[in-house]
Amino acid sequence: MLRRMLLFGMITSGIAGAIWGQPSADAVKQGAVLFRQECVFCHGVNARGGVRGPDLTTGAWAHGGSDAELARTITDGVPGTAMPPNRLTEADVSQVIAYLRTQQQRAAPAAAGDAHRGESLFFGSARCSGCHMVNGRGGRVGPELSTVGSSRPRGYLVESIREPNRQLTESPASGIIYDTVIAVTRDGKTVTGVAMNEDTFTVQIMDLTERIHSLDKKSLKTVRHESRSLMPSYSADLLNESDLGDVVAYLQSLRAATPAVEKGATHGEQ
Amino acid sequence: MANSKFALFVVGAAVAAAQVSPERLVNAAREPQQWLTYSGSYNGQRFSSLDQINTKNVQQLALQWVFQTGVKGEHETTPLVIDGVMYLTAPEGHAYALDLRTGRPLWHYERNMPKDLSVCCGMVNRGLAAVGDRVFLATLDAHVVALDAKTGRVRWDVASADYKAGYSFTCAPLAIKDKVIVGVAGGEYGVRGFIDAYEAETGKRAWRFYTIPGEGEPGVETWKGDSWKRGGSPAWVTGSYDPELNTLYWGTGNPGPQMYGANRQGDNLYSDSLVALDPDTGKRKWHFQFTPHDTHDWDSVHVPVLIDEAIDGKPRKLVAVANRNGFFYLLDRTDGKYLFAKPYTKVTWAKEIAADGKPVVLPNSEPTPEGVVVCPGGIGGTNWHSPSYSPQTRLMYIFSKEMCTMFMADEKLEPPHRPGRPYIGSSFFPPAQQRDSSAVRAIDPKTGKIQWEFKHFTGAWSGVMSSAGGLVFTADGQGNFIALDAATGRDLWHLPLGGDIQAAAISYAVDGRQYIAITAGSAVFAFALSR
Repeated sequence: MLRRMLLFGMITSGIAGAIWGQPSADAVKQGAVLFRQECVFCHGVNARGGVRGPDLTTGAWAHGGSDAELARTITDGVPGTAMPPNRLTEADVSQVIAYLRTQQQRAAPAAAGDAHRGESLFFGSARCSGCHMVNGRGGRVGPELSTVGSSRPRGYLVESIREPNRQLTESPASGIIYDTVIAVTRDGKTVTGVAMNEDTFTVQIMDLTERIHSLDKKSLKTVRHESRSLMPSYSADLLNESDLGDVVAYLQSLRAATPAVEKGATHGEQ
Repeated sequence: MANSKFALFVVGAAVAAAQVSPERLVNAAREPQQWLTYSGSYNGQRFSSLDQINTKNVQQLALQWVFQTGVKGEHETTPLVIDGVMYLTAPEGHAYALDLRTGRPLWHYERNMPKDLSVCCGMVNRGLAAVGDRVFLATLDAHVVALDAKTGRVRWDVASADYKAGYSFTCAPLAIKDKVIVGVAGGEYGVRGFIDAYEAETGKRAWRFYTIPGEGEPGVETWKGDSWKRGGSPAWVTGSYDPELNTLYWGTGNPGPQMYGANRQGDNLYSDSLVALDPDTGKRKWHFQFTPHDTHDWDSVHVPVLIDEAIDGKPRKLVAVANRNGFFYLLDRTDGKYLFAKPYTKVTWAKEIAADGKPVVLPNSEPTPEGVVVCPGGIGGTNWHSPSYSPQTRLMYIFSKEMCTMFMADEKLEPPHRPGRPYIGSSFFPPAQQRDSSAVRAIDPKTGKIQWEFKHFTGAWSGVMSSAGGLVFTADGQGNFIALDAATGRDLWHLPLGGDIQAAAISYAVDGRQYIAITAGSAVFAFALSR
């Protein structure tokens, strides 16, 4: 009976954790089922973070960690990031939250790093801004990073700097992967850059000088994609551990604005 | 009085001309200037015998008109063309009749759709059926609606099932004799799938074939406990029909929960199958199951392609299916006898299909808690997109995916069944960094051998049509409408249409001039040779 009341409480309030204390084991289990069904694609197995979404086990919530704030983030999504609105009932949402609460790890020691110094490195000696733009400043060839702290876990950021070839970013505009495309024209000229778009017959390449080339594939000698980033690998020689920590701290501070509640958007379907 | 009699006479004559008799549907091949059923003819070949547009002049294809529906969402509709009128649908329950010559709308039907639908994959609809003086629409809220062909006014509207329990329709119905046949969707929502027939005249349900046997029926033992009651097995793509054998062929979808099989142990008949039914009674003649106890979402919802060919020197009535599980199958359509199966895309889950038609399953292909990568992926080696067969080249053309996905499921996490809510059990998704790719492949149906392929840049999402002009029409994932040489696969012509192309082309003629039409974005584009 108690369990039934608990469930009833969750269904009606949607913020069961806050009102009733510990959610039931059933709610956690259903939350785990729902998480696998709805969230695992971006947030990874056991919510440990994936290619598209941040680690949800760190206890650090970019858009608020109360049940109500999490419920809003899940239901409405976060505009400007890959987090879509979700068509879940209030009961579903509260179960997902109940599950997420069980996945929290002990708070890791705060990552050392001086975000302010990281910003100076980013726009200065580390030369990140040659290719990456943050809030209107910087280059155009690489992915924009204005909200990267909301969408990527710390480990992913470290890996992207040290070993950028391991996981290439997808362009949100075209869905095209930031790999390296190399086109050789009939007269032997080589164009190397990132594809801004591409179809079966044409490719639009931005080269390292930010020049945009519109090319017909049939007029090319070859066009190929190499599964590597145009970004250099920042080994410890190029960026020592302390500087890396500062740059990552800066990147983690780049957050999407917490959204005002926005209704009417629909979930993108396949 | 005399005037009104005269008027009646004139109108009467015109109405008679607009009638689609069941005989016209059987003999659709004699009227290549029309497109009378979803696949163009009952045999599911999506082939046009018109040859005015051909390999020599296809470069002169020019846009004649565009009709914009203004409706958001994926347009998967195949238009019908009947006696000077084009009939099509748009997402969320819109239907239109257009003046075929000009693309100007004659009528528009808009359904007041409830907001609490359970649809997995968009508010889609794939088109209409026609017989008599009506066209028929199957709706997302699980109704079947007869519309007056001349005005779009509702002649009847019947509820087939409760949409709140997860039932919906996305397919174009198929009209046979005096009946309209529909297959239900909802395999992700714990439904019990079925194929229904309705009297075209009255809307009365003539029969229902449940795609899952019920209590006491043979086959129910292939489901653990009472899991058959919510085992999915929908039937959401239009079937084919052989008038001589009086047999309806219809594909069925995945068992549910999709990726979680522990609570439905057994083969799960008749999920992922081809069922052969008597269209008069709905009685099953035979079935063939492609993927027993599926845990990879490999719906066998494909337009079955009916082909007559000699096999080992003996003429056979055949049915060919490029299955979502990655194998191309050839069956004898008189009795469902399995002839052979060959992979047409990368397959890692089965070594082969054995002589009894059953897959020889490889280890490490079942979904696991941490995930396992299996090919084809959850989208399948192909999907619902129409294949085509050209009697001219005697090749079958299919939309083929090359994509593997990670499948996850945890036996400890049995999904709850709640009517109208997702009943999936887990998920599948592409491993990081995998490029989505697809191609049109030409398969010799007698051998399963791939004769040629045309690669799209990335994963396309459209069907195929072939024509006697020696052409195959396809589209890439970036909205290019493309004509290929049916013999070689060489691309001969393309035009970017500026919107996703998710349907397959049709062909028809007006005043002796051949047209090709395709839906792209939220519009229908009609092409003919420039004058």
